[in-house]
Amino acid sequence: MERQFTLIALFAALIAVLGLVPKFTLASGIPITAQGMGIMLCGTVLGARRGALAVLLFLGLVALGLPLLAGGRGGLGVFAGPTVGFLIGFPIAAFVTGWIMERMRGAPVFPAAIIAAVIGGILVLYIPGILGMVAMLELSVTQATLSMAPFIPGDLIKAGLAAALTAALYKARPSSVLSRA
Amino acid sequence: MLTLTSEIRTPYHRMRAGAKLAALCAATVALFVMDSIAAMALASAAVAGLYLVPGMRFARAGLGLLKPVWFFVALVLLWHGLTGDLQLGTVIALRLIAAVALANLVTMTSRFDDLVEVVMWGLSPLKRLGVRTAPLGFAIVLVVRFIPVMLDKARLLIDAWRARSPRRPGWQVALPITLVAVDDAEHVAEALRARGGFDMD
Amino acid sequence: MTPDSTAIGPVRLTGVTHGFGDRSVLRDLSLTLSERRIGIVGRNGSGKTTLSRLIAGLIAPEAGQVTVAGVDVARDRKAAIRTVGILFQNPDHQIIFPTVEEELAFGLRQLGHDKTAARAEAHTMLARFGRADWAERPVAALSQGQRHLVCLMSVLAMAPRVIVLDEPFAGLDLPTTRALRRYLDAVPAQVIHVSHDIAALSGYDRAIWLEGGAIAADGPAEATLAAYLQAMEALGDADADL
Repeated sequence: MERQFTLIALFAALIAVLGLVPKFTLASGIPITAQGMGIMLCGTVLGARRGALAVLLFLGLVALGLPLLAGGRGGLGVFAGPTVGFLIGFPIAAFVTGWIMERMRGAPVFPAAIIAAVIGGILVLYIPGILGMVAMLELSVTQATLSMAPFIPGDLIKAGLAAALTAALYKARPSSVLSRA
Repeated sequence: MLTLTSEIRTPYHRMRAGAKLAALCAATVALFVMDSIAAMALASAAVAGLYLVPGMRFARAGLGLLKPVWFFVALVLLWHGLTGDLQLGTVIALRLIAAVALANLVTMTSRFDDLVEVVMWGLSPLKRLGVRTAPLGFAIVLVVRFIPVMLDKARLLIDAWRARSPRRPGWQVALPITLVAVDDAEHVAEALRARGGFDMD
Repeated sequence: MTPDSTAIGPVRLTGVTHGFGDRSVLRDLSLTLSERRIGIVGRNGSGKTTLSRLIAGLIAPEAGQVTVAGVDVARDRKAAIRTVGILFQNPDHQIIFPTVEEELAFGLRQLGHDKTAARAEAHTMLARFGRADWAERPVAALSQGQRHLVCLMSVLAMAPRVIVLDEPFAGLDLPTTRALRRYLDAVPAQVIHVSHDIAALSGYDRAIWLEGGAIAADGPAEATLAAYLQAMEALGDADADL
């Protein structure tokens, strides 16, 4: 009981830390911001409900004025801006990611996690994200989608990395992967 | 604790957080109802005025917080310019800037603890429904306390990478950082259990 | 002290100043370190951790220069990693990869070996320590002392000329500390050991006592450490870091 609570709190902190450290580099030299991976990890590791709670806790702190979004951004302003759809999408993405992860308990961790992360962390995330841009910027769905399309390859890589991290975490600390409990 | 609250004193700092949030909601709704370029220009000027009241230094700090918005301003002007409706694009751009700036103004002039109090107050009706709200307060405390701790450990791990490689840290460093989160969660849970567990109301 | 500077490249600090924000941690420090075993003592906040990072090239000094065997360790990272290695305090904040052989092979790959060669060298290093069976073992399954050994092997695998130790024995029991100490004593590289624990530096050649970012004493280890100990005991509780 206590451990579930502290895992939620510490994964909220983890999302922040993954956004605050300098960007990581892939072998090819491309830099990536790891914060999106943190959102996916909340789902793949903590499962649907707890993963979503961790993300909501994180967002709550951002709203309260802590500069925890990648690049040190935060405050109410980010919720008034055009990326608000993505922010709303974060906890939903974590929930769906976790939900898929929990449903696929029979499969090995890596393939389950990558499917969960791609569907939850990308597909499900971009829907409210793009709708948010449509509403705030009065763009068409096509225009908004095209604007966000360049980010998708990077997100696919992040989903793969999140899956690899989940698999490695399951080997090192199996009891911490609540989605498999 | 590092927050976005400005150290530059303004008359807005003294206003109650709840009142500022309510005013922000009303103002944001108003902004999204307006659609004429004249009204929007007026509103933007008003927002700018609000920022200038405490002085140039404060206004400049506010401008700094608007940096992420410029990309979308450019995007909006580009798309609406291409479809031949630059006027609409300008209205949207101004609205964007004004809405974000107003929200930032509340953040810059409200203390973290005051905002937490407003949130807990807002959630208090849930207590009547039997939902315990105290754990949320504790969860906030935990996250705030552990972010700097985890960040320090993450930086140590990044140093451990840099000590053996001339290249910038790779994604693999995320694994031990995640392990730090998991292990710290275990230790705090232990400490909680040692202090009588989870009865906290 | 006549150093054989061809065998052990000197660590040279010239006019090194470094601070964090307004605080200046090290002020105009100049040192030539060529003895085989050098201890650096000082209280918390004396600047010894910053000094260890500067020698390892992990931070660049605000003023002055740090060279190891002629290499500017902060600017020439490629040469630096084959010249100086550093061992930190806590293995959990140091080990990056999930298995022992991956962790050892990492540095070797960064030195330019391909995957197969790096793994082979990692296995050789493990065998040298009688731990060949550790190769595919997950780090999570190792004890604390064993993890310290993995960190040591990872540094030694890169065969640096200078090894900086930043309080590497903290939290270990005496037998484990002694065993790790024995491994370190046998290492041909120059060892610069930062510590506030005098016992860890017994038998060293030279000791430097840092106080408030400047050198309070510098000379033969035994005498310098005795002076340091005396000063610490004279302070009593008044100056505790509480």
